[in-house]
Amino acid sequence: MSSLKKRVLPTFGGAKTNEAAAPETSSARPRFWRSFGELENRPEFRALLEREFAAPPVDAPESAPERRRFLQLMGASLGLAGVGCHWSEDKILPLSRRPEDTIPGTTKQYATAMELDGVGVGLYATSYDGRPIKIDGNPRHPESLGGASAIHQASVLGVYDPDRSDKPWKRNGGTASASSWDGFAAFAGPHFAKLKSMRGYGLRVLSERSGSPTFEAVKKRFMAAFPQARWVTYEPSAGDGARAGSVLAFGKAHRAVLDATDAVVIVTLDADLFAPSFPQHLALSRQIAHRRSPDGEMNRIYSIEPDYTLVGTFADHRLGVRSEQIKAFAAALDAKVSALANPSAEIGPGQQAPKAEFLAEARVAKLLDALVKDLLTHRGRSLLVAGPSQPAEVHAIVHRLNTLLGNVGHTVRFVEDTAAESLSDVAALKTLADELARDRVDTLLVLGGNPAYTAPGDVAFGDAIGRAKTSIHLSLYDDETSQRCSWHVNAAHYLESWGDVRAWDGTVSIVQPLIAPIYDGKSAIEFVSFLLGDPAKPVDLVKDTHQLTDERAFRRAVHDGVLGGSAAPAAVPTLAASKPITFTERELGGKKLQNGQLEVTFGPCIKVYDGRFANLAWLQELPEPLTKLTWDNAALIAPKTAEELGIVDGDACTVTVGGKSVTLPALWVPGKAEGSIHLTLGYGRKAAGQVGGDAKTEVPSVGVNAYALRTSTGYHAGAGASIAHSDADLPRLSTTNDFYNIDKIGHEGQEERAPELVREANLAEYKQNPHFVETREEPHPPLLSLWVSPVSYEGHKWGMSIDLNKCMGCSACVTACQAENNIPVVGKKNVAIGREMLWLRIDRYYQGEPEDAKVTFQPIPCQQCENAPCEQVCPVGATMHSHEGLNEMVYNRCIGTRYCSNNCPYKVRRFNFFNYNLDVIGVTPYTPTEDPKMKVKSMVFNPDVTVRSRGVMEKCTYCVQRIQNAKIKAKNAKTSIPDGTIRTACQDTCPADAIVFGDLNDQSSRVAAAHAAPRSYALLEEMNNRPRTRYLGRVRNPNPELG
Amino acid sequence: MAAISDVNPFVSAPVGDNAFARITDNVSRIAEVERPPRAWYIAFACALGILSIFLGSIGWVVWTGIGVWGTTMPAAWAFPIVNFVFWIGIGHAGTLISAILFLFRQTWRTAINRFAEAMTIFAVMCAGVFPGIHIGRPWLPYYMLPIPNQMDMWPQFRSPLEWDIFAVSTYATISIVFWYMGMIPDFATFRDRATTFWRRLCYGVVAMGWRGSSRQWHRYERAYLILAALATPLVLSVHSVVSFDFATSQLPGWHTTIFPPYFVAGAIFGGFGMVVMLAVPARQFFGLKRIIQIRHLEVMNKVLIATSLLVGYSYMMEFFVAWYSGNKYEAFTFVNRAFGQYAWSYWAMISCNVLFPQLHWFKAVRTNPIATLIIGMFINVGMWFERFVIICTSLTRDFLPSSWGYFIPTKIDFMTLGGSFGLFFTLFLLFCRYLPMVAMAEVKAFHPSAHAHEPDHPVEHTGQAPVGI
Repeated sequence: MSSLKKRVLPTFGGAKTNEAAAPETSSARPRFWRSFGELENRPEFRALLEREFAAPPVDAPESAPERRRFLQLMGASLGLAGVGCHWSEDKILPLSRRPEDTIPGTTKQYATAMELDGVGVGLYATSYDGRPIKIDGNPRHPESLGGASAIHQASVLGVYDPDRSDKPWKRNGGTASASSWDGFAAFAGPHFAKLKSMRGYGLRVLSERSGSPTFEAVKKRFMAAFPQARWVTYEPSAGDGARAGSVLAFGKAHRAVLDATDAVVIVTLDADLFAPSFPQHLALSRQIAHRRSPDGEMNRIYSIEPDYTLVGTFADHRLGVRSEQIKAFAAALDAKVSALANPSAEIGPGQQAPKAEFLAEARVAKLLDALVKDLLTHRGRSLLVAGPSQPAEVHAIVHRLNTLLGNVGHTVRFVEDTAAESLSDVAALKTLADELARDRVDTLLVLGGNPAYTAPGDVAFGDAIGRAKTSIHLSLYDDETSQRCSWHVNAAHYLESWGDVRAWDGTVSIVQPLIAPIYDGKSAIEFVSFLLGDPAKPVDLVKDTHQLTDERAFRRAVHDGVLGGSAAPAAVPTLAASKPITFTERELGGKKLQNGQLEVTFGPCIKVYDGRFANLAWLQELPEPLTKLTWDNAALIAPKTAEELGIVDGDACTVTVGGKSVTLPALWVPGKAEGSIHLTLGYGRKAAGQVGGDAKTEVPSVGVNAYALRTSTGYHAGAGASIAHSDADLPRLSTTNDFYNIDKIGHEGQEERAPELVREANLAEYKQNPHFVETREEPHPPLLSLWVSPVSYEGHKWGMSIDLNKCMGCSACVTACQAENNIPVVGKKNVAIGREMLWLRIDRYYQGEPEDAKVTFQPIPCQQCENAPCEQVCPVGATMHSHEGLNEMVYNRCIGTRYCSNNCPYKVRRFNFFNYNLDVIGVTPYTPTEDPKMKVKSMVFNPDVTVRSRGVMEKCTYCVQRIQNAKIKAKNAKTSIPDGTIRTACQDTCPADAIVFGDLNDQSSRVAAAHAAPRSYALLEEMNNRPRTRYLGRVRNPNPELG
Repeated sequence: MAAISDVNPFVSAPVGDNAFARITDNVSRIAEVERPPRAWYIAFACALGILSIFLGSIGWVVWTGIGVWGTTMPAAWAFPIVNFVFWIGIGHAGTLISAILFLFRQTWRTAINRFAEAMTIFAVMCAGVFPGIHIGRPWLPYYMLPIPNQMDMWPQFRSPLEWDIFAVSTYATISIVFWYMGMIPDFATFRDRATTFWRRLCYGVVAMGWRGSSRQWHRYERAYLILAALATPLVLSVHSVVSFDFATSQLPGWHTTIFPPYFVAGAIFGGFGMVVMLAVPARQFFGLKRIIQIRHLEVMNKVLIATSLLVGYSYMMEFFVAWYSGNKYEAFTFVNRAFGQYAWSYWAMISCNVLFPQLHWFKAVRTNPIATLIIGMFINVGMWFERFVIICTSLTRDFLPSSWGYFIPTKIDFMTLGGSFGLFFTLFLLFCRYLPMVAMAEVKAFHPSAHAHEPDHPVEHTGQAPVGI
C-alpha cells in the first residue's frame, strides 16, 4: 500500500515528468520546464506531484474519506459481515469453453412431439439458452405438415406453470404432507416388492390412452411382473365408436387414415376435422385448405352436424341435425348411394332408407339427392368421415361408402389398430369403480389423467378412489384425483422428458426434452420402470424400443422428429355384409322436441380440451372460434329452441339430465341443431390451479363442470334433457367480437358493412368475374395523396396476405402470436369490458338466417398502413413508420395517450391498462419479484420481445424481431433474404397455410403474387390508409344444384 | 327577505351616500372582514372534501393504472377527456367576457368579468389536470413538451394533442395575465384600505406600486386593450384546436369540418351557463345585488339563447351532413347517436342544451335568478353530455363491428369527475375570500356618477358612453 501511495504516476507522460519525479533530491533547476511552478520547484508544485491525480475531481466532497480510511472501513465491514452470517454458496460454472454449437442469446429449434389422446403430433420447439419458449409444427411429420394448434402453442406455458406440482405429496385421510422422491421411493420399494410377491394381486393401473411404443413395452414388462394386476385405459374425450365401427365393417379393428389432398367431395358426419380432438386435424386442415383455391379444382364440403364446428364454418353446405339423427342420415345416404352405385356382390346391399321425419323435409331431401349425385360423379375422389362421438353403425356405413365409392387407397387408407386391445372403455372405468367400491383393489396406480374429475356423473370414481388401500397418482398437477389418492407424485412435462409417440398413421416420433425436469418430475415411462426397479434411463428405454443402437440413426430420428419408414403399412380389409340398423323413434323424429326430451351433447373444448389445460391462461383467454367465448363454458343452444323455451342469450339456465343438473349461462349459436344442447367439457375444475380454479385457495372455477351430466350410456349424447331459465346470478359471459349485446341499429349497421368487410362470392360468380371483390367496395373518389410519400420503400417492403378461403378460424395463430410476443393475459373481468390484449384477433361474421347461418372468419392483425392514421396523431412519436413500411411501436417513448387507438379504423391496438405482468416482473424494473415460482414463470418470455409495462400501447409488429434476425443473418452471410425465410408466428403455426408474409418489392415473392391476385382487397380501402395486410376474398363452392 | 340580502353581510352599514365609496366598500369588505360568514366555511369545507376525493382518485389511478377507470378498448378516451373538454369549454366565458365584450364595448360585462375570468382560470386549471392524468404513464406527460434532452427526443408536431398543449397553455397564460392585470388597481385599493401589516405587504406587492396616476391609468388602459385584442383570437382558437383532436382524426362522428365553430359556440354556451350558475349565488351571498343586477343576468341569458340556437343548429347540421355525405359510416354514427345504445345521453344533451334554454324567451324566466340558476345547471349537464356523446358514441361504434364496445364508467370515474369540482370550488372560494370579486375600478368607470352632468343637461345614461377605457 505504502509503495502505491508513494508512487508518482506519470500524469503527463513522457520523460520530463519522470525527470521531475524526484524533485526533492534535486536542487537543480530543470532545463526544460513547463510552468514556473516546475521551474522554481515551488512547494505547491511538489504537492501536486505527490497526488495521484493532477486535480481533484470537481465533485469530490471535501470530507470524502481518504482511500486508506475507506479501505479500513471496508475491511472492517466485511470482517463484521463474516461474523454473523455467510454468503450463500452458489456454484457458477462459467462456460469458459463454449459447448459445441451453442451461441448464447440465439435460438435453436429441436424436434419433439406432443401426445394427446394417444396420438402424437411432431413439433419443433424453439429453445433459447436452454429453455423452450415457442412451439411450431414439424413439416416432416405427417400429422403436422408444419402446422400446430393453439393447444400445442400453449403447451410451452405449461412447462413454467407455477401451479405445477413440484414434489410428491403423501395424504392420509384429510391431511396432506409434503414428501419427496426419496420419501416415495422409501414407500414404493417395499410396497411394490410385496405386491410383486403377490403377483400383483389387487393391483389396478389406470392410464390414459397412449401412442407410445416404449410405454407399451414398459407396460408389458409391468404386467409380466404383476400378472394378477389389471390395466385399464380411460380417455374422457375420445370415443370408441370409430374402433367399434371398423370392427363392425371389417371384422377387425382398423384405423382410417385420411388424406384429403385429392378429395374433391368431403362429407363430414358430426366430425370436426379441424378440432384438436380429431386425430389428423392439422394435416387435414392443410390438405383441405390447399384445395380451396378457386383457380384450381376446388373441393366441396358437406357437413352434417349437431354443433357448429370449425369444419361446418368451412363447409359449402351444412345441415344442422341432432347428433342422434346422424345415423338415419347416414343410412339414407347409404341407401341412395347403394341404389345408384350398383355395389358388387361381395360388398352387398346397403341399408334400407329409413322413414325419418326430418329426412322428408324438402331441404334435407334436396341436399341428400345433390350430395349423392356429387359423390357418384367423384368416385375415388370423395371422402366421408364420421365423428368420434358417433356410434359404430355410422362409422360402419362410412367405411362401407368409402369402399363403395372407391375412395379406399385414394383418400382413405386403413391401418391395423395395434393399440386396439388397450383402448379405453368407459365400461372398464365403471368396472374399476365397482371393484374399488367392493374393496377389491389394494393398490390403485393412476398414470396421468384426472379420472376423479373426468369420470362421467354416474361413475363415482372420485369417491371410489378412497376405497383403495393405497392409491398413487402420477400427474403434472396436484389435481382432483391426486387429492383423493394416498400418494401424488409429480410428473414431467413432455418438454422435459424422453419418450416416443405414434402418429395416427403409425409414424413414430421421438419426444425430445428441451429442458431438464424443473421439479424433478418423472414421465410415465420413467415412473413405471422406476416402480419395476429398473434404473435404465428413459432415453435408453426409447432407444431399446426402436432398436436405435446406432447413434447416428438415433440422432437422425431425433433430429428429424420422425422415425423414417415407421408408418404402419396399409391394410386392405374386406368389407363384411352390412347389418340392417334399427332406429328408435327419436332418431327418426322431426326437428321439434319437447323440453325434457332434448338432446344434450358433450365434447372436449377446443381450448382446454378435457380440462387438462384448464390452468393455461393463454387457452382460457383465447376466444373460442365460433362463440368468441373466453374464460367460460356455456350451454350452446339454437336460437329457435331457446326462444321457444324462454332461454335468454347470456342468461343463466339449468340443464337437467337424468335427475342431475348444472346451472350455467346459455349462449345462442346460430346454425346449432334444434332441440339439442351442447355442453363443453373441461371446465369447472376445482383443483386446477390459480388460473383454472382451486377450491383450496378459493380461486373460483372457470366455467361449470359438465362431466356431472355425462353418463356412461349418454356418453357423447344424452337424451331426455330439459333446460329452464335460472335466476342464478352468474358472472356475465366474457366474449370478444360481439362482446356487448347489440341493438337493432347496431345489427343494421353490421348487416350493411359485413359484405364489404368480408368479401365473398360463389365459385360461379368468381369464374364470371375474378375481380368480384371490387364490386363489394364502398364507392370512393380516386385515392390520391396531397403529398409525395416521404418514404420510398426502396429496400424491403413487408406485406402480408391472408386468404379468407383457407382460414377455418382455428385460432392457433392467436395463441402463437401470444407466445411469440409475450402478450399478457388480462383475465375474465377485463375481457368482459373489452381489454383483451391479443394482437391478432379473428373476427367472425354470421350471414343469413339464424337456423342456417353461414360463418366467415377474418383474422385481423395490424394492417401496417403505409399512410397510417396512428402515426400521425401520436404526440410523442412513439409509433413511427419504418423505411420498410412497418408501423413500429417504441414502448419506451409511449406515454399512453391512446390517441393512436382512437384513430385506428381497424382497432388493432391494445393498451396495458394495468401492469399485467406484475406478478412476474415486479412493480418496477428495480423491484423484481423474488418469488422463485414467478421467476420460473417468467422463463416463458421470448427474450427478443420487450415485456411491456403498464400504460403503454402495443400491437402486431409483423414479428419485427424475426425480420431483424433474418436481416442480421443475411447481412452476416452477405446474401439477400430469400422469400419464405421470414415467417411470422401466425404464419408459422397456421395449419391451413392461410397467411403469407414477405417482401412486396420482391416480385417473385408469394406475398407479391397474392397481393396481385384478383381476389385481393384491403380492408376499408376507401380511407386511403394503404394497408400492407390484404385479404383474399372468400369463394364458396356450393353445389350448383342446390342453388 | 330581499331587503336583508340586499345588504352586504360583510358590511355593518353602508358608509355615506357616495356611490364610488359604496362600491369600494361593498367589494372590499368581503375580503376585509376578519371572519367570513359560517356559510363560507361550510362551503369551503365541502369543497376541500370533494377536492380530497379528487386527489384520492388520482392517487389511486397513478398507483394502480388507469384501468381503474372504465376506459377501455375501443373507448380509449372516455371520462377524463370528456371532463377535459368540458372544463376547457367552461373556461371560455371569462375571456370572452373580458376580451371580446370589452372590444365590443359591452359595459354590462364589468359587473361579472372579474369572477368570470377567475372562473376561466380555475376551469382551465381543472382541465389541465386531465391530459396529465389520463395517460397510461402519468409520470411522463412532459414527453409532450419540447424540452431539449439528452435522448434527443422531440414531440411529434403533427399530432393535434401537441397543438392542444400549446393552445391551452397559451390560453391559460394570457388569461392569467389578463386577469391579474385587471386586478392591479383593485389590489391597490385593498392595500390602501389595509389595516394590518401583512395585508398591506401582500396586497402592496401584488399591486406593483399602483398609485392611480393618470399616466399609470393611461398605460394600464393601453395594455388592457392590447391584451384584449390578443386574447380575442385565443377565445376562438383554443376550442378550435381542442376540436381538432377530434376533427382531424378518421373516426366517423369526429371527422367533421363543422367542429371548430361548433365547439367554440358550445364552449361559450357552457361557459356562460357556468357564469350564471356562479353569479346567482354570488350576488346572493356576497350582497352584490346592486352590482350584479337582474339586467346583467338577463343579458347573459340572452347570450345563452343565442348560443343554444347555434349549438342546436350544429347538432342539426351534423345530421344533415351525415346524410348528405352519403358515407354509410358517418350516417350510421349519427343514427346510432340518436337511437342506439347511448341514445339516452344524446337526448339528455338535446334537452339540456337545446330545449331548456328556450325558456329564456320568456322575460319572466330570464329575469328570475332561480330559473336562471336551474337552467344554467341544465346547460352545464348538457354540455358535459355533449362531449360524452361525441367521444363515447363515436368511439364505441366505429368501422369494424367486431371491435364495437360499450363504455361503462366505474366509481373512480365518477370520483374523478365530481372531484374536479372540488378543485374548482376550492379555488373559487379562496378567490372570493381574498381577491376583489368585482372589478371595482371598471364598475366605477361606468357608474352613472362617473358621468356627472350639469343638472340642466340630464343625459340618460345608456352605459354605452365611450368613457374611461
